[in-house]
Amino acid sequence: MSEHAAAEIKSADDPAFQLPASLGSLSIPLSIGGLVLLLAGWGLANSIHARFGMSAYLTAFIYCLSIAVGCLFFVMIQHLCRAGWSVVIRRIAETVMLMVIPLAVLFLPILGTLLFGEGVLYKWDDPNHAIENHLPITAWMEKTRWLDSSWFTVRAVIYFAIWAALALFYYRGSIRQDTTGDKAITDKLQYWSGPAIMMFCGATSFAAFDWVMSLAPMWFSTMFGVYVFAGSILSAHCIISVAVYALQRRGAIQDEVTIEHYHDLGKYMFGFVFFWTYIAFSQFLLIWYGNIPEETHWFYERGLGQDHLDTWGTVGLILIFFHWMLPFAGLMSRHVRRNPKLVFAWAIYLLILHFVDVYWMIMPESAAPDASHASAEGAVGVAASVLCVLGMFLLMIGMVLKIAKQNAVIAVRDPRLGESIAFENM
Amino acid sequence: MSENNEKKVHGIVAEYESVDTLLHACRRIRDAGYKKTDAYTPFPVHGIDKALGIKPTVLPWIVLGCGITGTITALVMQIWMNSIDYPYIISGKPYVSLPAFMPVAFELTVLFSSFGAFFGMWALNGLPRFSNPLFTDPRFDRVTDDRFFLYVDASDERYEEGAVREIYEQTGGEYINTVLDDDSSEKIPKPIFMAWGLVISASVIPLLVVLKMRVTNSESPRFHIFYDMDFSPAKDAQQGSTLFADGRAMRPDVPGTVARGESNYDMDFMTGVQMDQLSAMDAPRADRLVRLSLGPIGPADDEAGDDENQNEETRDESTAAPSAGGSEEAKDTTPWLTTNPLGNSEEVLLRGQKYFGIYCSVCHGMNGGGNGLVNRRARKILSPTWIPPSSLHQDTLYKDQYPDGKLFSTISNGIRKMPGYAGQIKAKDRWAIVAYVRALQLSRNASIDSFPEEERESLLDEQKQIEQKLKEQAEAEQQATTPGQASS
Repeated sequence: MSEHAAAEIKSADDPAFQLPASLGSLSIPLSIGGLVLLLAGWGLANSIHARFGMSAYLTAFIYCLSIAVGCLFFVMIQHLCRAGWSVVIRRIAETVMLMVIPLAVLFLPILGTLLFGEGVLYKWDDPNHAIENHLPITAWMEKTRWLDSSWFTVRAVIYFAIWAALALFYYRGSIRQDTTGDKAITDKLQYWSGPAIMMFCGATSFAAFDWVMSLAPMWFSTMFGVYVFAGSILSAHCIISVAVYALQRRGAIQDEVTIEHYHDLGKYMFGFVFFWTYIAFSQFLLIWYGNIPEETHWFYERGLGQDHLDTWGTVGLILIFFHWMLPFAGLMSRHVRRNPKLVFAWAIYLLILHFVDVYWMIMPESAAPDASHASAEGAVGVAASVLCVLGMFLLMIGMVLKIAKQNAVIAVRDPRLGESIAFENM
Repeated sequence: MSENNEKKVHGIVAEYESVDTLLHACRRIRDAGYKKTDAYTPFPVHGIDKALGIKPTVLPWIVLGCGITGTITALVMQIWMNSIDYPYIISGKPYVSLPAFMPVAFELTVLFSSFGAFFGMWALNGLPRFSNPLFTDPRFDRVTDDRFFLYVDASDERYEEGAVREIYEQTGGEYINTVLDDDSSEKIPKPIFMAWGLVISASVIPLLVVLKMRVTNSESPRFHIFYDMDFSPAKDAQQGSTLFADGRAMRPDVPGTVARGESNYDMDFMTGVQMDQLSAMDAPRADRLVRLSLGPIGPADDEAGDDENQNEETRDESTAAPSAGGSEEAKDTTPWLTTNPLGNSEEVLLRGQKYFGIYCSVCHGMNGGGNGLVNRRARKILSPTWIPPSSLHQDTLYKDQYPDGKLFSTISNGIRKMPGYAGQIKAKDRWAIVAYVRALQLSRNASIDSFPEEERESLLDEQKQIEQKLKEQAEAEQQATTPGQASS
C-alpha cells in the first residue's frame, strides 16, 4: 500500500531479532562498572555529609525509576489505544520497565534511613524538626499522621507491588506470545490496560508525593505527581529512541524500525517536552499567583523570587531554556524528527536534562540539618551526584541487557507486527 | 460556449479498481513529467504524495508564522494594556509580570496556529469552492465508495490527451474520460435568495426591538439581567453593615497598627507644634494633639477622641481668632514651629503650588487674594451665611505674626468656616502648601533689589508697560461712560 514495499515479517528466530552479541557482552561490565561508580559517588557524597549523600543517592534512584515507570506507562498506553505503530519498539520498553524490580532492592537504603537514622534524608523523620523550625503544631500533627516511618514503608511496598505486578504481567504476556503467537494474549493485555493505568497513576503520583515532595514536609502541590510523571514519560520515549538507534547500529531490527517510527518517537518527545513545560508552569503559576508563604517557599528555596540569581535560580533558568525552549525549537521540524541520528542526539540530550530536572527537585533539600553545609556543594557535590546517577543508570542498563539477551528484541509474533512494520505517517 | 456547442476541456480522468494499480499509474504519470495532477481515493492512501511527486506543503510554515504572531500579539496586548495604557497592579505583582501573561500567550498561540492551519489549508486548496468540473462525470460519484481516480489537468505544460490516455490504458485505467466544463446553470436558485432574504429580515427584528425600547418610555422597572453587576454587593463608604458589632461597613484601623506610608511619628511634623515645649507648658493639650494626629487608637477611645476633637477645634479657633480678627484677646502662647521642616526648595514649592491649586485656590484664589471661584459665586448669590475667606496677603498672616506651624495647623484643622484638610492632604503636602503660601506672600513684597541686576531693567520696563495699559484701560472706561451720562 505504500511507496516502498514493506519488509516481509521475518521468522521468529531470525538473527535480526536477537540482541547483537556486541551489546549483550556489555551486560556484566556495565553492571559491575555501574555498581562501582554508584558506590564511589555515594561515598564521595557521604563524605560531605550524610544527608547530602542520601540526597545524591535518591536523585540517582528517582532518575532511574522515572525512566522505568515511564516505560511501563508507555507499554500500557499502547495496549490501551490498541496502537499498531509501536509494536516494533514495544519490547524495548517492556524490558526497561522490568527494572522496577531491581530498583525495589535499590530502594532499601532509602528505607534504611528511616529505620536506622532520624531525619537523615527525610526531615519529617526527625522528631525535633517541628520544634526546631517553629512549625504550627496542629498542622504538623496532621502531617505526621501520613508521614510516618512504618506507614511510609507499607506504602512503598504497595507502590512497588503494583509496578512489579503490572510489569511482570505485561512482560510475561508478551514473551509468551513470542512462542505461541496467541492473539488472545493481546486481547487480555488490552482488556486489563484500563484498570492497570488507573493503578499505575495512583502508585506513581503518591510515590512522587512520598519520596520527593515530602523532602520539604510542609510543602504541598497536588500537581507534583503529574510533574514527576511528565519527566518520566518524556525520558521513557528518549530511552526507547536511544535503544532503537543503538540496536540498529549493531545490525538488529534494521528492516522493521523505519524512519516512520523515529518520526513518531520524535513527535512524542516534542509533545512531552511541552507537556513537561505545561505542567511545570501550571504548578508554578498557581503558587506564584496565590503567593502564600507555605506554598511559595519551595520555589523560593529553588532560587525563584529572590532578588539575586543564586545557584538554584541558575539551574531553574537552565531548565527553562534548555529543558523547554531549545528542544522545543529543535524538535519542531519534521526534518529533524525524520532523521534517526538527530532523534538519537536529542534523546541523549533530553535524558541529560531530565537529570538536571530531578537534581533541581531533590538536591535543594539536601542542606545539612545543622546548616553547617549549604545544599549546593560546589563541584565536588555535583561530581558525586553525577557519579551516583551514572553508576545507577549503567547498572540498570547492564541488567536490561542481561534480560534482553534472553528474548527477542521485538515482539516477534504480535498480531500487529505487520501493521507496525508497514506503518507510515501521513 | 453553448453557442458553438463546444465545451472547454479541463483535463482527463481515469478510474482504477485498486490502490496498487492507482499507485502504479501515479508513478507512471509522475515519471512522464506531469505536474498538475491529482488522485482521488475513498480513504487516505499512504505514500500517494510521493507516487504523484507532490512537494511537501508550505502549510507548516504558515502555522508557525501564525503561532509566533499569536504569542507576540498576546504579549504586546497584555503589556500594553496592563502596564502602559492603564498601569494596574494586580495581586501586588509588577506591571509586566510574564507568568501572568503566559496563559493568554499560550491560548492565542494555539488559536492563531489553528486559524492559520484551517484557513491556510483553504487558501492553498482554493476553497471554498461549490463545484468542480470532475463532478460532471457520473462515475466519479464512486470516489466516495470503492473506486480510485487519477486526473491530469489540461493546463499542464506537457499535456497531450493521447499520451495521457495511453498511460492510463497501459496501467489498467477504466472509463477514461475527458473532463468537460460543467454546463449546468450557474444561476443561484431562487429559493436560496428567499431563504437569505428571510434570514436577513429576521435578523433585523432584535435590532428593531432594541431601537424601540430606546425611544419609548415604560412603566415597568428596568430588568436586571446581572443583578449583582448592576448593584455591586460591595459596601460603599459610610454604609451600614450587619456583619460587624458596631454596624459600620468601614473598618477603623486595627488597634496598634499603622497604615502603610503613615509611619511618621515625628509629632512636630504632624502637628506643627514644638511638642517638647508644649508638653512642658500644657501636658494635657499635648497629649490630645498626639492622639488626634494618630487618629482613633481603638474603639474604646473613639468617643473620647471625638469630644476632644471638638475641643481642639474650638480651642484652635479661639487661639487663631485674635490674629485674624485683630482684636485684643489672650495672646497665643502655643510654641509653634517657626520654620518649615521641608525647607523651600523648588521641588517643595512646585508641590505646594500644585496642592494649593487643587485645594486652596477655589476659595482663596490662585493668587491667595481671597477671591476664589466659590467666594465670587457666594457673593453673586448673596449667600447670607457666607464668611469670605481671608486674603493671605495680610500683615497678620505673615511669618512674623503667624508662624509656619500655626499656618500648618490651620490648614490641618480648619478655622471659622474653613474645614480641616488633614484627612485629604498628606502632612508632607500641607507643609509644601505652607511653603508656597509664604512664596505668594513674598511675591507682593519683593523689592527690586532681590532680582539679579541684568533682569531689573526688563522688569521695570514690563512694570511701565503694565501701568500704561492699566491707565489706557481706565481712560477707555471713563470715555465709555461719559457719553452715556451726557445723553441722559
